Amino acid sequence: MTGPNPSTNIDVAALVRETLSAHTSNVSSASTTSDLSIDEELNLHAIGWEPVQLVSGYSVFSTPLGLWSWGQGEIVAAGEAHASAFRNAASRLCGEASAAGAHGVVGVHIERSIYSTHTEVSMIGTAVRPIGAGRVEPTRVFASDLSARDFSRLIIAGWEPLGLAVGASFVYAPRRSMGAVFQQQTQNVELTNYTEAIYSARELAMDRMQRSAINLHGSGVVEVKIVEGPMTFASHAVGFAAWGTVVRLAGATHRLLHPTMVVSLDDAEVLFDAANLE
Amino acid sequence: MTAHPESADVTPSSFTSGLSVADFAACLAMGLEPVGLVQGFCAMQSSNYAVGAMQRGLSPYQGQSGYVENYQCPHGMVAGEHRMWGQNYEQTWIEQTWSQGFASAYARMLEEATHLGAVGVVGVVDTQSALVGAGVIEFHLRGTAVRLAGSSATSATPWTTYLAGQRLVKVFEAGFAPVSVVASVASVRVWAYCITEYLMGGSGVSAWSSSPSSTEIDQIVRAHTQSRAIVRATAQSQLRGDKLQGVQLTVAQHEYERGDLEVQAMLRGNRVRRFRDYEALPAPQPTVRLS
Repeated sequence: MTGPNPSTNIDVAALVRETLSAHTSNVSSASTTSDLSIDEELNLHAIGWEPVQLVSGYSVFSTPLGLWSWGQGEIVAAGEAHASAFRNAASRLCGEASAAGAHGVVGVHIERSIYSTHTEVSMIGTAVRPIGAGRVEPTRVFASDLSARDFSRLIIAGWEPLGLAVGASFVYAPRRSMGAVFQQQTQNVELTNYTEAIYSARELAMDRMQRSAINLHGSGVVEVKIVEGPMTFASHAVGFAAWGTVVRLAGATHRLLHPTMVVSLDDAEVLFDAANLE
Repeated sequence: MTAHPESADVTPSSFTSGLSVADFAACLAMGLEPVGLVQGFCAMQSSNYAVGAMQRGLSPYQGQSGYVENYQCPHGMVAGEHRMWGQNYEQTWIEQTWSQGFASAYARMLEEATHLGAVGVVGVVDTQSALVGAGVIEFHLRGTAVRLAGSSATSATPWTTYLAGQRLVKVFEAGFAPVSVVASVASVRVWAYCITEYLMGGSGVSAWSSSPSSTEIDQIVRAHTQSRAIVRATAQSQLRGDKLQGVQLTVAQHEYERGDLEVQAMLRGNRVRRFRDYEALPAPQPTVRLS
């Protein structure tokens, strides 16, 4: 089984033996933490970047009791709470990254929880910087939910991430009149109050996301995620949220990527799943 | 039993392993032979664990060490049940119980690996589960002990890693050597003061005012921020210049009453040591798979 791998010409067994014999010597003294896989770390290294530290940001905002139950149009305070929690969590995330001497945060995992009385946002990611680079102004530290692999591709294509853009809106779906309820209960009919509420929330949320991208001087948003639907704790409210990474061209022009066509000789089945014991 | 000539790399004695066939194959390709599925257990009870769920006292908890922050009601005496004080504190006894349980189970697993003449343990899995009653946790670690093929070299403290298979191969190829798995826990208890209680219940701000607004709940934010900082610092203190890769940070929150809650952050990762500098890597080549 052992011996040089014919595809890479690397004798892994010899490498492992050499590594383990040199086990006690450490060529680096800087402790770093990262949630990147080894593949992602190698991707970063290939473009001249390195992980620095695992960082996180958290925020929770209170929303007034009774806010969701009755009203018309947009639920403004709920949208504000979402925007503020997102902004503060991202700000704390970037603050930790800046303190660690990083230039940005990649692979940010974003968790949002919306309850009737409060909205919380949690972010965890790995702070990164160009290898050996010094500090930058805290305001220039970016956060991106792109994976390290996608971040590498973005940089190779001549673009740069600037931060996270987010937009959210929560809208009341007006209650139908009793007459309309009785009239429609045996019919297959579109509930236009809900359709219109979703459209309204979507327009406001997408507009806000675009405006936050413009505020960051970006030219676009990539990897936009959308979460929309009813609020489980409020029968007549719908929500729409969208977020993604703001990007712009770093140089004069976009660098075209010319992918190489490859034909995999592997079976369609995954024979070498690298998952460990679970 | 006689070894088949084609499987001469594998010793004729039988072994046990928790590796999948794919990870087993990768293990052999690295020149590592599995020698046994090693395990460590530890059941921990902490009588102090109940302090975390105790009744609210008349005054903030005293005598604690670690992170602590006090919050004072701005209203003065309003009513008997009014929460005049609030406190965030690190539950160091829970963290100590956890680290002691983990360390004992880990040491027992390593003991088995050493007994088998292993140089390392790959594919480590650790679980913590409730055992028999409240406040009793079972720590269970298991992994596959490995030794160098065709070598009698042993190690007094075998290295360990959560990785196995091709992921571990890449770690070696990237110039790192596995050192150990690292796991830590931080626990912060929140006793809400009146403002936090109101805000968590949505009554700190009015929905009926002309412009209902939202307010950040500072006490909860501080508890979350501190629990993450503590768990990261605890893990970093074990690194001694090494790197922690593939970190998994999870944060759980349990609310007992409105605003009275417990935040627990858990961090796991692979401590690795760089034994040679990165070689200059070519820029990744984009490919499109034709299937």
